[in-house]
Amino acid sequence: MIKKIMVCACLIPFLAGVCTAEVWKAPDQEQARERAKETVPFIKEYKDDCQISRRICLMDAGISLDDVSTVYFLLDSPIIKEREDHYEPVRFAHKRHAALVDDCSKCHHFRPKDEDALETTRCSACHQDSFNPEYPERIGLKAAYHQQCMECHQQEAKGPVDCTGCHLKHVPDHKELVKLPDNPDPIQVTQACLECHDTQGEDMLKTAHWLWRGPSPYTTGHRKDILHGKGTTALNNF
Amino acid sequence: MQITRRHFFGVMGAAGASVAVRPPTGHAWQSKAPPDPFGCLVDLTRCVGCRKCEEACAEVNGLPEPERVNCQCTIFEKDRRPDHDAYTVVNRYYTGKVDEFDKPVPTYAKVQCMHCQDPACVSACIVGALTKDETGTVRYDVTRCIGCRYCMVACPFEIPAYEYHDPITPKVMKCTFCYDRISKQGGVPGCATICPTEAITFGRRETLLEVAKKRLKENPARYLPHIYGEKEVGGTSWMYLSGVPFEQVNLPALPETPSPKLSETVQHSLFTYLWSPILLFGVLGGLMAWFNKNDNPPDKGGA
Ligand code: SF4
Ligand code: SF4
Repeated sequence: MIKKIMVCACLIPFLAGVCTAEVWKAPDQEQARERAKETVPFIKEYKDDCQISRRICLMDAGISLDDVSTVYFLLDSPIIKEREDHYEPVRFAHKRHAALVDDCSKCHHFRPKDEDALETTRCSACHQDSFNPEYPERIGLKAAYHQQCMECHQQEAKGPVDCTGCHLKHVPDHKELVKLPDNPDPIQVTQACLECHDTQGEDMLKTAHWLWRGPSPYTTGHRKDILHGKGTTALNNF
Repeated sequence: MQITRRHFFGVMGAAGASVAVRPPTGHAWQSKAPPDPFGCLVDLTRCVGCRKCEEACAEVNGLPEPERVNCQCTIFEKDRRPDHDAYTVVNRYYTGKVDEFDKPVPTYAKVQCMHCQDPACVSACIVGALTKDETGTVRYDVTRCIGCRYCMVACPFEIPAYEYHDPITPKVMKCTFCYDRISKQGGVPGCATICPTEAITFGRRETLLEVAKKRLKENPARYLPHIYGEKEVGGTSWMYLSGVPFEQVNLPALPETPSPKLSETVQHSLFTYLWSPILLFGVLGGLMAWFNKNDNPPDKGGA
């Protein structure tokens, strides 16, 4: 009897949660989604600096990794979707890229002519719709993303250059695909994942999530003093 | 009956002289190119070989889905040409270009109708099934086509294909420049819309030439200093920029004279004032008279 009551008591808050249908959403995801919907006014004139002077400008302005306010972007602009909408948006880890590249001028390659404008602007401020007859040499937002990302990924021989390397695939409902025992333990879950995603499993072993090595954009002062990574310490290796 | 050498040269000389002194025709060849056509600038240094343009082209033109759309592993092993199932195809070329690790770098090139300013096919078509439109499109009208396939022979880029498999209603098949889209305000061809890297830039031909020249000037190391299609066969609506020689990506070296200029000049000068048929029948009549005169006397002997 007592057990039953306890179960019921436990269920009450749960049911209440279901009734109000409050689905938890990751705040940073939501923020990124909202941001992606925004469009900003078109910057007509830009300062045609070469990359070196651009770099010096950014350094003079004292812009560094600490100024990267947005960690993560969802590249899902209505500017692109207006013409066609074939792919899932790309999740772009802004801060991580900034830390890896360590040169803001690589992407923020020009600045607005207006001296009062910010040093770094959004891609979509200068690159909007393609084939604008008034600015024929200005490439559109979609091409700007693809050219910038792919060229660098190729040059650095790092990062994906195929479509699904960046664009999300439509993920099928895994409830039907995966059969797990009731109350599975973490190892059972991992095993179920690896049954299909074995290459991703291999890849994972090379990432910072496993090695606890690599750029550390999020630690205070970007310190790298973690000694006991999963890859290095047997105790931690599960 | 003998035709002596002297006679022969006499007759030929007369014919030659009449050609030489023929009255000035007053029909100097004139280009019929539209004044401000649309065009596309294909920048091979930007093309990544994703073949999305093939996919989009098939979709907007109601053609079958291209072979292995999402897999680029084996498709490039054969050199493909546009055919009755595909108005455009992308090919891969290894031209000897290498990256800093000495790895060969491929160059991808999209092929489709070039929409020449003075198209040879339009000039060759005897029923006017092909026309060059104000938008720059070389349009095909199946209701007029009699299936002679002269256009296929005339095209310097070997583009038009024919539905040989269809005995009842065969059509000549080639890129339509997405006429239905570009003739509307703000319309863009299917391939140019989808291209992820804007390797295909759509716009007015004049503007595109400026854009191309700007790219060449700003990036001399990236490009060969030539805009393919600016002058080739009198200019084409589709133009190319490349970092490797154009012949190596199957864009043939062609003269600057529009193909119809030569053929039409020959044709027109042949028929001005009907001098050539008059001359031909004159010569034939002369020869007949001459043979008759020569043939008669020996008959008398009954030899
Ligand atoms: S212009 Fe239209 S028909 Fe021509 S290749 Fe592009 S999509 Fe195909
Ligand atoms: S869509 Fe663009 S990048 Fe892709 S193959 Fe065609 S021209 Fe090249």
